[in-house]
Amino acid sequence: MTAALEIRDLSVRYASKGFALDGVNLSIPKGSIVALLGANGAGKTTLIRSVSGLLPLHSGQITGGSIHMDGQSILNMASHKLVRKGMGQVPEGRLVFKQLTVEENLRVGAAVLPRSTEKERMDAVYALFPRLLERRLQSAGWLSGGEQQMLALGRALVTQPRLLLVDELSLGLAPLIVSAIYKQLKMVGETLGASILVVEQNARLALDFASTAYVLERGRISLHGSAAEVAASDLVRESYLGATREAATP
Amino acid sequence: MLIQVLLSGIALGSIYGLVALGFAVVFKATDVFNFAQGMFVAFGAFFAVTTITTLGLPFPIAVVAILAASSLLGVLIHMFLIQPLFGRPMLAVIMLTIALSIVMRAVIEIFYGVQARTLTTPIPTGVFMVGDVRISQLHLVAALVSWLCMAAFGAFFKFTSVGLLMRATADGQEAALVSGVNVKVMNRLAWAIGASLAAIGGLFLGQLQIVSTELEHIGLLALPAVVIGGLQSIPGAIIGGLLVGLIEQLSASYISPKSSDILVYVLLLLILMVRPWGLFGQRELGRV
Amino acid sequence: MTANPSLPRATGAQTLRPLRWLAVLLGIAALIYLPFLLTERSIFGHRLSNMQLLNMGLSQMNLMLITMLGALSLNYLTGSAGLISIGHAAFYAVGAMTAAITGSQWGWPFPLVLVSAAVTGALAGLIAGLPSLRVRGLYFVLSTFALHYLVVFVFMEYQFKFFSVVGIPYNAASLGAWELNTPMRWYFFLLPLVAITYWLLHNSLNTREGRAMQAMRDHELAATSSGIDVRFLRLKAFSFSSAIAAVAGALFAYYLTNVTSEYFGIQFAIQFIAMIIIGGMGSLPGALVGAAVWLLLPSVITGMASQMGDSTGLLRSAFVDHKPQLVQAIFGSLVVVLLIFAPWGIAGMVTRVKARLAAWWGKS
Repeated sequence: MTAALEIRDLSVRYASKGFALDGVNLSIPKGSIVALLGANGAGKTTLIRSVSGLLPLHSGQITGGSIHMDGQSILNMASHKLVRKGMGQVPEGRLVFKQLTVEENLRVGAAVLPRSTEKERMDAVYALFPRLLERRLQSAGWLSGGEQQMLALGRALVTQPRLLLVDELSLGLAPLIVSAIYKQLKMVGETLGASILVVEQNARLALDFASTAYVLERGRISLHGSAAEVAASDLVRESYLGATREAATP
Repeated sequence: MLIQVLLSGIALGSIYGLVALGFAVVFKATDVFNFAQGMFVAFGAFFAVTTITTLGLPFPIAVVAILAASSLLGVLIHMFLIQPLFGRPMLAVIMLTIALSIVMRAVIEIFYGVQARTLTTPIPTGVFMVGDVRISQLHLVAALVSWLCMAAFGAFFKFTSVGLLMRATADGQEAALVSGVNVKVMNRLAWAIGASLAAIGGLFLGQLQIVSTELEHIGLLALPAVVIGGLQSIPGAIIGGLLVGLIEQLSASYISPKSSDILVYVLLLLILMVRPWGLFGQRELGRV
Repeated sequence: MTANPSLPRATGAQTLRPLRWLAVLLGIAALIYLPFLLTERSIFGHRLSNMQLLNMGLSQMNLMLITMLGALSLNYLTGSAGLISIGHAAFYAVGAMTAAITGSQWGWPFPLVLVSAAVTGALAGLIAGLPSLRVRGLYFVLSTFALHYLVVFVFMEYQFKFFSVVGIPYNAASLGAWELNTPMRWYFFLLPLVAITYWLLHNSLNTREGRAMQAMRDHELAATSSGIDVRFLRLKAFSFSSAIAAVAGALFAYYLTNVTSEYFGIQFAIQFIAMIIIGGMGSLPGALVGAAVWLLLPSVITGMASQMGDSTGLLRSAFVDHKPQLVQAIFGSLVVVLLIFAPWGIAGMVTRVKARLAAWWGKS
């Protein structure tokens, strides 16, 4: 069965910062949740950018390897085309449209959908996140961190993506809120049959949530396996699970 | 008399507001401070001469042609000049637009010659009286059309889905990319709008003054207008334009015609020193 | 060459050094011979056609030298303080106006006029640089833009009040008894002036202060956190740069013997920006190249125009009737092309080629 996402031997470099990823292999089986762990600067966000076509925006370049979504090569494909192909992304820092209302944010995400399905899909998101429905007409800039995260997630989910990339969901949010969001994410994933890649600094959360995990260190995959295996490994236990809370730096 | 001056100030200010709006759309969408906006105004005026006077096209068709040509110009400039500079510092792009204005000015003068032209259109140029006040019909039409255009674009931005996508792109390029917006097309659209609004401004200013590359200087008044109003604020750009028009007319009448623009630049300087984000802008840390 | 593996580079450089001195001496000799060549239109007795001389004349050389001062001052500013001044021609106007007051109105001798221009230029630069204490980047550039209009307005008012719409006349320039009344004399006055200015600026960039300023130039946050020092250093740089530009403006006025406020408009100011981009921003040699291109391009075009002869239509319009416009079109396009493909300018390209050659030399 073709994987939802298949990354082979991917190498990426930035114009100013040099190499960021070196020969990375990562595979997301259909319908499963994969966690990508690693410290700040390991290259997790770079990986997401490479998949979703955001590298050029950050002066990055893929220097080797291949990326396939559902068996089709999506190497260097433009972001807007990827969304139409069923990729959704919840970027690091949420990146909601601060000056637009909650409703408008969702409508932007829904713009790729045919008009007829737009309302129904938006209603589905509101059902998932009632808080967003309450704040429909408020500017996104005024929402709390947790609400903005829900909005970013909702915006990605409104297209019912087959592949969802979630980057640093937990940053800056209280653990209770994060847990709740992850639970909903899992539920949605199962309902949609979506495959999810979760990038997290908070290893414990991610490992609870995912079925397989990869650990990225300085641009290379240092460990991968089932979530349980990875959680039990010495590397992860010492570096990521026992570690005190790190200061979150963007 | 004062009311006279105020009225011409509002009329001219409305045109400046339109040009400033075009400028602001481009800035918000693509982060480019387009010094060539003044030349876009001149282009509009000269193209109007070509379509209306030289080719003798019926006025409505000529207007459509002007809009089409200026939109195309904006798109081409974005495609070949602005996009290649993506990721480069803002000042480099500004200098590119300055160089562009040099080239445009030269090409227009080669093509049309250096003699100023007059532009005559079916728009009435007479005057009618309201009590003691003389109202120029051209001023009135210019102001009305400018306001209509500004309102139309306002409606476009607020109520259409393309307008929504443009607002989203201006809010955050990366966020827009991630949401599936075709940002490239949005940016081209922004430049098409910026150039065509300037061209309409040129159409009116060309009649109110004279059609020559000196129109660039009048068009350049949109720059202080936008900065005074607030670089990131669309309503600010329009109000900035009105303010500039009023200041210009007031100082031309009450101080001296030569000094008409100077006070605008003095105000610009003051704003830059005291409140650089403009009257309606928001302080953005690290923006500059 | 000894088989000592630790010194190959030094040996290489040593074999180059006498060559470099020879090149410098030849260069100086050429520069001294140049005015004679241009005046007599012949080289060592051999007659040269206008086309071969690229249509250049000595008076153009002189204007180029004056412009080089202006370009040098602007590139010094961008290179050291990282400040871009769109309205740099305003300092030209300040210099010309000071020269009008001290020279034409008060009758001061020429050297003193130049000094007075430098002083007012420095003061004007101090004022113009003040906004840099509050705002940077785009907003600062806009402040120079606004200030330019203000200065030109003041010049215009001054011109109309004390002189006439025809312009401000300037007395003959003379250094004591030696009158600068031929292009040749101007040349031999301007050439060392440019050389000395270049040397002064070059050294200034290499002092501890200069290097500190350059290091801070692109790192805004680093600069602010290091405190007030760098900001005042920038003001100093601005003052220095404007003083030079003002002297250039005074020389410009004296050379042309008559100027009006239109000479200093934003169109002219923009030319300097274009010059430094073509030459290479922030680079002193780049300023020289940029000014040279700016001034020599019209001559080249005129030369080509004379070849155009009987062409009609757009070509004729461009090459014959609208030469200045064609020059501007080419000039502007050159800037655009360089910005997109070679933002480090011509001087930058030369540096890169030299580096590549050096690497190749070092390897072999």
